Amino acid sequence: MKNLPGGRGFKPKREGAADPLGPNSEIGRKLKEYYNGLVVTDVPDRFEELLSQLAAAESGKHPSEKGD
Amino acid sequence: MSSEFKGGLLAAIPSLRAFAMSLAQNADKADDLVQETLVKAWDKQSSFQPGTNLKAWLFTILRNEFYSQMRKRGREVQDSDGIMTGRLAVHPSQHGALDLKDFKAALEILPEDQREAIILIGASGFSYEEAAEICGCAVGTIKSRVNRARTKLQEILHISGEGDYGPDSIATQVMGSSAA
Repeated sequence: MKNLPGGRGFKPKREGAADPLGPNSEIGRKLKEYYNGLVVTDVPDRFEELLSQLAAAESGKHPSEKGD
Repeated sequence: MSSEFKGGLLAAIPSLRAFAMSLAQNADKADDLVQETLVKAWDKQSSFQPGTNLKAWLFTILRNEFYSQMRKRGREVQDSDGIMTGRLAVHPSQHGALDLKDFKAALEILPEDQREAIILIGASGFSYEEAAEICGCAVGTIKSRVNRARTKLQEILHISGEGDYGPDSIATQVMGSSAA
């Protein structure tokens, strides 16, 4: 491995070698693959509805109810 | 004000669901957990400091909810290393390609505290400091949990060390002495 010119200022955000779960780690890669598989960008309706209900319930309240 | 908060919650839902899935290992339970988290977060929104990490704040609520539900159900929280690595034999698939299914099975063997630590650090993208805050423990504790989790996963999956992971060592593990 060659030292990169540019020295100190030229570090990646997380150093590969120093990061045990970085891209050079099989465990790290699988972990991300597993987790990314769990991330579904489509939000089910139930959650959107829930948030709308919460917001509606709050706007129905008097602000003074918040107390001190 | 609260519409901004609502937008923040909405944007965090995919991450919350993924984290909940990784904790609860069950889609229905995970979504119930997310729902409970959203309601709690809404009730506590005055305690959230705008400008701080909303995702970390929400993960903290979700995690607390998960553990309090587990306690209610009377399930022991596994916080020791007492789980037998050998309880479930996970044999990596052929050609040294670690199968995602095997990995998932291995992850499920880990004690909860180690599993959440390695997920927060290795997958959810939190710093050690943030993960410590989410879990309500010291940074050093998170580091040691992550290390133990990683070591245990390597053991379970027969990755003897990063680098010497390959078909030969796996074949030896799978076929035993006859392959030697």
